[in-house]
Amino acid sequence: MSRKKVSSGAAKRPRLSYERRKALYGYGFISLWLLGTIWFFLIPLGKSLIYSFNSVGIESGHMTMKWSGLDNYSAALNKDQYYVDHLEKTLLETLWRTPLILIFSLFIAVVLNQKFRGRTLARAVFFLPVIIATGPVFRVINDDMDATGTSSGQPQFSTLLHTDLVDELMHFLGVYDMSGRMTGFITAVADSVFGIVWSSGIQILLFLAALQNIPPSAREAAQIEGATSWEYFWKIVFPYVSPFVLANLIFTVIDSFTDPMNEVMRRILVFQTVDINYGLASAMAWLYFGIILAAIAVVTFIVNKFVYYEVD
Amino acid sequence: MTENKTAHNKLSVKEKRTLRMKTLTKEERNYIRRRELCDKLWVIFRAVILCGLGFIIFYPLIYMISCTFRERADMSDPTVVWVPRRPTLSVLKETIEAMDFWNTLKNTVLLNVGCSLVQVLSCAVTGYGFARFSFKGKKLLFGIVILMILVPTQIISVPLYFQFRFFLGTDVNLIDTMWTMYLPAMTANGIRSGLMILIFRQFFRGLPRELEDAAYIDGCGPFMTFVRVMIPNAMSSFLTVFLFSIVWYWNDYYISSMYFNETKTIATTLCNIDNELKLRLFGDGNAKMNRREQTAWRQAGCLVSIAPLLIMYTFLQKYFTEGIERSGLVT
Repeated sequence: MSRKKVSSGAAKRPRLSYERRKALYGYGFISLWLLGTIWFFLIPLGKSLIYSFNSVGIESGHMTMKWSGLDNYSAALNKDQYYVDHLEKTLLETLWRTPLILIFSLFIAVVLNQKFRGRTLARAVFFLPVIIATGPVFRVINDDMDATGTSSGQPQFSTLLHTDLVDELMHFLGVYDMSGRMTGFITAVADSVFGIVWSSGIQILLFLAALQNIPPSAREAAQIEGATSWEYFWKIVFPYVSPFVLANLIFTVIDSFTDPMNEVMRRILVFQTVDINYGLASAMAWLYFGIILAAIAVVTFIVNKFVYYEVD
Repeated sequence: MTENKTAHNKLSVKEKRTLRMKTLTKEERNYIRRRELCDKLWVIFRAVILCGLGFIIFYPLIYMISCTFRERADMSDPTVVWVPRRPTLSVLKETIEAMDFWNTLKNTVLLNVGCSLVQVLSCAVTGYGFARFSFKGKKLLFGIVILMILVPTQIISVPLYFQFRFFLGTDVNLIDTMWTMYLPAMTANGIRSGLMILIFRQFFRGLPRELEDAAYIDGCGPFMTFVRVMIPNAMSSFLTVFLFSIVWYWNDYYISSMYFNETKTIATTLCNIDNELKLRLFGDGNAKMNRREQTAWRQAGCLVSIAPLLIMYTFLQKYFTEGIERSGLVT
């Protein structure tokens, strides 16, 4: 690819090799971004790291900083009564929600990839959360459903879905005693069906795109060999989409961690806007970010071992 | 005539089937029957699943519509579940008034479309730079792009606020101006721009190199090559990313509530809808409202604030759903 070409103007200029020139053009293309990133990303990032090691105060509109070492971090972990609880809760929730979202969205993608009447409509419906779920509308929907009791949606909805049904099913099966924990578990799952369906729009989209990349010849070959749909899924579909499992996994984890609606973020926001303590807020945010990074690194490492790449 | 024809067709299919079945052994016949049964069951199962989940997705939307068109008193009436007793527009009108909807909409669209447009362009240029040129430090710089995807905005929002408050170390105050959104968008640092750069990089890597080589040989500079050759080829990808960008800007309330106090966008207004209602309808910030009646206004607020997006989605649905496949995120 690196044949030398002499463009018309180059002869008069001081000679630069083709590679050097291309490299310069490369810098040219990214320079705008680079400038912006230094100004709007790297500097703020560094500053917030510095905040986290200082006790920050505001005096007559200007910021005063005093070095305080790891005080903010230990305050976040030991003194703040909510932070650790929220952190644990968010982590746990992400831990069990992520696999469910992935399984669910893969299943729906496989279904939506089949040919049936009304498929376009079905796809349109399932991608609808993509345009709503990131916004305040979803927040209002969720709030209303959590807080306001009978007049709101979720209680009706989940009552309809679980309470009686699970109990009755258990009674019908002749199980009376053990239903306590079991019902609790199933109730929790049923409650979160709503959340899961509403947060898997993009994931479905990505899986669907991956599914459409599977060559039709693979399916034909499998059919001729007499593979059932089940075998076809595990032996052919799954290996093909496995790289996207990783991509989706990371996307899901980031999405749920950086969601301004989650409780850690809300707690951080309190210190940014209400009880103004930027040092503590930064320390909390950095601690949280460190955990996210570690989680993603571990997940990537594990999943990468099971991923099948067609071209290597 | 047609009935005859279909009847004949049906018959012949059945006949063919029985004929074929006769030629098979018993095991083969069983196998085929079992498969057919499975297929039919699957069709029913699929329909049930899709309808059920479709209901979960539509549920909040139906609830919004139902709340919007009822009288406030109906909220406390247990006999009204879905269908309003006397459909009125009063709640809708009050909500539109409380949100100052048309002005806010104008603001939001101005901000939204402008920022998205600029950001798509800047991200495309950057993505192209990363896709086609090799230079020193490229890996490190691309690492920064990945970092942009990973770092939550909450970490950098406070220092960013101060940077805009005292712009370039001077006393220039950019807070509450649209520059706070436009400047990052212009330099490919707006909302989710890391993801957009990544998408464009993948997309441009997927295009054949011969396209550019031909342009270079004809004496076209790299930038003009990008404008004349690559952009026309990437049109559908541009549109998809642009649409997603509009959705992201539309839905953002964290960043805009950070920078805007006076300037309202639809999202920030919706977050504050309770206060807005109190101020504009009752003229008193501490007015007490019936929680249930408040729900009606809130739901109406939700409906009007996603209505523009829903309309856009209905008409451009194709670009949302098919665009990702063509955008090259999946290669």
